[in-house]
Amino acid sequence: MITPLYAQSLLREGAVMAAVAVALIGLPWFLTAIGGYSELATPIVLWGIFALGFDILIGFTGLLSFGHAAFWGLGSYAAGLMLLRVTDGFIPAVLVGTLVGAVASLLLGYLTLRRRGIYFSILTLAFAEMFYYAALSPLQQWTGGDNGLTGIPPADLCGIAMKGEAIYYVIAVTAFIGIYVARRIMRSPYGLILRAIKSNETRVASTGIDTRRYKLMAFVISGVYAGLAGSLSAVYQTYVPTDALHWTTSGQVVMMAVIGGVGTLFGPMIGAGIVLYLANVLSGVTAQWLLIQGLIFMGFVIFLPGGVVDAGRRLALLLSRRPAPTDKRAAGTVSVHPAQAE
Amino acid sequence: MALLEVRNVSKHFAGLRALDDVSLSIAPGTIHAIIGPNGAGKSTLLNVLTGLIVPDTGSVVFDGQSLLGLPAYDINQRGIARVFQTPEIFPDMSLVENVAIAAVAARDGSYRANFFQHPRALQPVREKAESILADIGLGAYLNTEARHLSRGDKRRLELAVCLAHQPRLLLLDEPTAGMSHHETHSTAELLRRLSRNGMTKVIIEHDMDVVFSLSDRITVLHQGRIIADGPPDEIRGNPTVQEAYLGGAHL
Repeated sequence: MITPLYAQSLLREGAVMAAVAVALIGLPWFLTAIGGYSELATPIVLWGIFALGFDILIGFTGLLSFGHAAFWGLGSYAAGLMLLRVTDGFIPAVLVGTLVGAVASLLLGYLTLRRRGIYFSILTLAFAEMFYYAALSPLQQWTGGDNGLTGIPPADLCGIAMKGEAIYYVIAVTAFIGIYVARRIMRSPYGLILRAIKSNETRVASTGIDTRRYKLMAFVISGVYAGLAGSLSAVYQTYVPTDALHWTTSGQVVMMAVIGGVGTLFGPMIGAGIVLYLANVLSGVTAQWLLIQGLIFMGFVIFLPGGVVDAGRRLALLLSRRPAPTDKRAAGTVSVHPAQAE
Repeated sequence: MALLEVRNVSKHFAGLRALDDVSLSIAPGTIHAIIGPNGAGKSTLLNVLTGLIVPDTGSVVFDGQSLLGLPAYDINQRGIARVFQTPEIFPDMSLVENVAIAAVAARDGSYRANFFQHPRALQPVREKAESILADIGLGAYLNTEARHLSRGDKRRLELAVCLAHQPRLLLLDEPTAGMSHHETHSTAELLRRLSRNGMTKVIIEHDMDVVFSLSDRITVLHQGRIIADGPPDEIRGNPTVQEAYLGGAHL
């Protein structure tokens, strides 16, 4: 678990970010090597950005939103409309898409965070569905209705058309920055306070902290990541399907986070990779791949509730050392008498 | 002037009179005990003071300002901290993180948009948390997750969380419940030491040895009403208290 209290050495942080860079650059080749295809890398990294921001909400703050399709979808439509009607510039389109995601999450967060637990989840779901149906029919002049937003021209970044390999590297750089920012947020006072809200909200409030404003910030931060990822996906696909706003998009990101391991930042990104890889590889093998995907998801929740990252951590622990005597004490009940401690 | 002034506070829950016209005044720098049989309204009174319950009638004034209708975090920021009856801590966070959260709240107030602050700015917060934990006798377990502590130590950790704010008024709901004789003794000693630093305390307690040795003033609640209020010697000899609290047995 990332803790802000003990500063990481610059060397270690540098090593982690270097590993991230290597992974992002190597992903297309790695996918080819394991029987996928290199173009799959782009949607994996896109969804990885979405899932990374989502983890700040679900993994650290403990809020399960079923409405994040709204921010991904609104970001997509906004960026798509920018490219269609305003400019072919990549940066303005993505900025506007991200901003729309941020504003929408501020509004929705403000309304939904009045309730907790399952009521919060249902409210987010209901609001996101409203956007879906609004896009489908009353706003179809703008959104293209059932057909989605089609015919988006390729965006232009400093004279380079955003498609193929070029857009992969732009998205990879965005993901790299997104990872760095998320790690910094988790090492700021927010890292402590958001985890504390997940752990015991009553105590946080009785400790002088306005929990609603911090929860709203977590919601907006995740909304910004969703809006950014959604905008990038509109640029990449040159098309926005109505599915972008559908609740299955919200469900997909929850599934990615859980499979990868919530509360680890990298976990949900790995989860995005696993889900999309399986979807693409399995759909080539059998028509029943959704059934198999469901079974895999169930298997993770039942047998590996900490996700892939936790499984890897446990495996590493098992291989690297036998339980030392100090571990036993840390795992058992500790009682301190002041006479001994002083 | 009183630090805290409660006037004519009443609270009814579906026909139950939890608090019935309760008035009391807490003098600064004192330890004020509230005793009474189970269900007398002691915890309800603390809930009113900390903003978790809004009373039907009456007023609560802390240091010249009304607390009614303020959210819990605001009341805490004004200088009232509370140790709950069942320890409210952050079970899956380390001891030093538990206390650091309170130290951050003391530094930053109820909200600040510092989500990009460099980790180095948290070093003073960590040092403060470590020194509070060392002072309270938990210094050997800084990086242990709080859920591994014994019940008595969890309560002490919660006290450490409260102290990180340097509150002017500390509310303690049965601070020695579930503690061994030895732990009770050292907790009482700690509370006495804090009082020498001028911290005002309201304490709900069942251990009469602790109550009579520690407090400057005692208020006795029974069925939501105050039946006695005075210095320990007066309460000890009060026949009404003996009747209500112990069914006639001597305190």
